[in-house]
Amino acid sequence: MECNVAIIGMHDYLDGDLPREEAQQLQAHLRSCPSCMARFEQLERTEALLYNALEHAPAIPAYDQAASAKLTERIMSQLPKEKITRQNRRGALRYLYKYPGLAVAALFVVVMLGSFISMWQQDSKLVISGEGEVLQQVVIEGKKVTIPEGVHVKGNLIVENGEADVRGEVEGNVTVIDGSLNLASTGYITGQQRTIDQALDWFWFKVTQSFSGLAS
Amino acid sequence: MNLLEARLARLALKGDQRAFAELVELYQDKLFHMAYRMLNNRQEAEDVVQETFLRVHKNLERYDESLKFSTWIYRIATNLCIDRLRKRKPTYSLDAESNDHEGLDGYSMIPSDNRTPESEMLLSETQRIIHEAIDSLAPKYKTVMMLRYIQELSLQEISDVLDMPVTTIKTRVHRGRDFLRKKLEHKL
Repeated sequence: MECNVAIIGMHDYLDGDLPREEAQQLQAHLRSCPSCMARFEQLERTEALLYNALEHAPAIPAYDQAASAKLTERIMSQLPKEKITRQNRRGALRYLYKYPGLAVAALFVVVMLGSFISMWQQDSKLVISGEGEVLQQVVIEGKKVTIPEGVHVKGNLIVENGEADVRGEVEGNVTVIDGSLNLASTGYITGQQRTIDQALDWFWFKVTQSFSGLAS
Repeated sequence: MNLLEARLARLALKGDQRAFAELVELYQDKLFHMAYRMLNNRQEAEDVVQETFLRVHKNLERYDESLKFSTWIYRIATNLCIDRLRKRKPTYSLDAESNDHEGLDGYSMIPSDNRTPESEMLLSETQRIIHEAIDSLAPKYKTVMMLRYIQELSLQEISDVLDMPVTTIKTRVHRGRDFLRKKLEHKL
């Protein structure tokens, strides 16, 4: 056995960590190597001194029973009187802590609702949209959109916040939002005619419109 | 033993002050002893013990019962001691290991400041020499040696307390022991 291996073995032995077989090899080496034997004896003595000095250390001055009791008192008096635990938090807040997704969803709904309502209320002006040909032939008087008698238009017409008066022929859809649709006896609409005045309908219409817009 | 402590910890968490007082009673003197040996100063040792219990109290709900209670409390206390030792030392590069001292870093070459005015009542010159030698150990070795010789923890337990691999602990015990052997060999 090499001396450096033996030295590691000595420490392991003192740690109570050396297998029996290796301990026997170490013993054999120590018998034949005086310098390792000397070192081992020193280490053994150091170990004994350390245990003796630390484990059975003399009492620390001025740390007697009274001092110990005083420290205990100091520790106990410094503790917070009432522990703030999770249970003390207010109900709703705790709910949000527990389900962060819920908080996000709630916030989303609030924001969406807000912008939706403001968008809906904003649109009180008359808006007409439709294909070019249609727009050229309609007559606008205040909030009234008229398709004059005898006129034949091709295309869709959308009127927002106004009254549509159809006297001529429309070859397409006519949609009125927040207003009324008046179809004269001379008027004729080949496509669908719809009147929307409910928020939800309006919203749904906007959505389908933007989607069909994307598709086309 | 561990069951008792875990139970006390659970009661203390529910706000039972008496259960916490029992934990204090179980560990206060052990912790004080170790902190005093680490810091060599009575006032600081008391502060560390107090701070340890405050932290234990504050973090009771985070106590993981798979860890021994003693491991947890020693971990908190040793970290506080190491922090204080680090703050004391000057900041120039001491962590560079020097070859002359077989892996002991520069900390060990600085004489520890003897802050204790109340010089300890050591019964013999031998004891004084041993304590001086221990004080000259670098914090990282000192911590391991204290846990080993004062608290008589196994290498595995020390590795749990310090959250380091057992092989590291083993190396530190070996180096610390050898350092002390050299320090003591001519004097005793």
